[in-house]
Amino acid sequence: MSEYLLLIVSAIFVNNIILARYLGNCPFLGTSNRMDTAIGMAMAVVFVITLSSATTWIVQEYILKPFDLEYLQTIAFILVIASLVQLVEMFLQKSIPGLYRALGIFLPLITTNCAVLGVAVLSVESHMSFIKTLVFAFASSVGYGMALVILTGIRERSATSPIPVHLRGTPLGLITVALLALAFLGFAGMVK
Amino acid sequence: MVFVLTAICAGAALVLAYANKATQPAREYQLLKYVQGPSVKKVLKGYDNDPIKDVIEVSMGKDEKGQPINIKIFPGKKGGKMIGLAYSSSAQGYHGQIEVMVGVDMNGTITGISIMRHSETPGLGARVVEPAFTNQFAGMKLSGQLNLSARGGKIDGVSGASFSSQGVVSAVRKALQLFPKVKKEVS
Amino acid sequence: MAAVVREFTKGLWKEVPPFRLVLGLCPTLAVTTAAKNGIGMGLATTFVLVCSNLIISILRNAIPKKVRIAAFIVVIASFVVIVELMMQAYFYPLYKILGIFIPLIVVNCIILGRAEAFASKNSVLPSIADGLGMGLGFTMSLTLLGAIREILGNGTVFGIHIMWESFQPFGIMLKPPGAFICLGLILSIMNWISSRQRSH
Repeated sequence: MSEYLLLIVSAIFVNNIILARYLGNCPFLGTSNRMDTAIGMAMAVVFVITLSSATTWIVQEYILKPFDLEYLQTIAFILVIASLVQLVEMFLQKSIPGLYRALGIFLPLITTNCAVLGVAVLSVESHMSFIKTLVFAFASSVGYGMALVILTGIRERSATSPIPVHLRGTPLGLITVALLALAFLGFAGMVK
Repeated sequence: MVFVLTAICAGAALVLAYANKATQPAREYQLLKYVQGPSVKKVLKGYDNDPIKDVIEVSMGKDEKGQPINIKIFPGKKGGKMIGLAYSSSAQGYHGQIEVMVGVDMNGTITGISIMRHSETPGLGARVVEPAFTNQFAGMKLSGQLNLSARGGKIDGVSGASFSSQGVVSAVRKALQLFPKVKKEVS
Repeated sequence: MAAVVREFTKGLWKEVPPFRLVLGLCPTLAVTTAAKNGIGMGLATTFVLVCSNLIISILRNAIPKKVRIAAFIVVIASFVVIVELMMQAYFYPLYKILGIFIPLIVVNCIILGRAEAFASKNSVLPSIADGLGMGLGFTMSLTLLGAIREILGNGTVFGIHIMWESFQPFGIMLKPPGAFICLGLILSIMNWISSRQRSH
């Protein structure tokens, strides 16, 4: 049990996928201007990362490994993720229109969010079991969502402040992320 | 539409299968050079060849599950004559397996050992990688002396980490027990 | 010919990624702890960019509109696998340093972006020029960022000591906060240069 707890704490705080591992920056800066978009994106990320890590784990263990095709990992994973996102989009549109309206516009963006492929590759590389992969993917994506919501909160306030003109937008966003990452550095060493 | 997509995938598969095959020997060499190479260089003495390039794979029978056991032997040569062998061996430590690269000359005397992989406790069992511990093995043969001092041997274990120290000793002993067979296979 | 040259040079300054075209930030931030790593990552990306632009511009009339993104991803991912294999075979230490960011070239938005916005609409020669320009621009930016972080964080550039004897390196520059703050400041400097150019 404590093993899973450590894994969760490590994935959310110590090795936060955006603030410590630099994964998924483009949508991170792109969707952190308004709180409702940020929350929608955060939820979509948690959903897709958890689902796709589980799927890629199965692909790795039952297709790539037995047939000695591990060198095709990258191409197999990205195709699985891209088709999965398409399927989820179609499924949501047909059966849960409410959720589709909330998440729909974020789903196509997620295919090129490197956090999705990144988490899948990371969990395969560290030879995790299926349950561990699920826990790791879920915790990592929650960490991503949390960082996104925190950053959005800060950016919403700074948007109305008098900022030097050249710093407005992405540059200030990046500097804010830097300060956030600095704060999260305080967790370093808590868990290996 | 389906046809074009299939054709692209087939083309990609063909190219990748070829690329995989073409780079395989080079990839294996690099893997040996950078993962095991540094340890091999440390444990062999006085050689003038490239032990990584001359690697020999020998079969050591089968394990309990019937899977063949192959080990990689890195030979050290001088003037074309074989003067020593390096190969890895592992044993249970306090946390999981400890993998040790052992260098042996042709008489079965250890020329050096190097810990390649372990997951022992940092600051405690992990101190088995320090030269103060590993240097004690050089010059020893497979005998009663090759044991921890607590068991009547000549090796002083790392204090507070007898399981980890014993793991290294067991791995080295295992390697030396294989030596006669390995020597016969490579010569 | 002039058009080809223009496609090539736009990637070097006017639309240089990731400073002007803010895409592909993950590798930009992650691997630039040293100038050498920046060059390695940049050249690997350039290779994929040029090759995928080439193939996509050749196939541009054969690929149906509806499945174009899937086809682009297959082409790009294939070249990424080739890069992975080649680096394992010939540049193993660099492969280890860049690690997970080599497979992640496949989701670098610059590459899919150029395939969609340029190579699928233009002929072979301009597409290669576009890929080469964007790729070299990206390499330049990564090397610059890597050099700045290496100098401040380690006192060296390309492994050579250049700072004075008593210089105390800022270790933080090699960590995530240093990466984000460096890129943020560079982007604001780019904004400043653009606004000066406009006012002239």
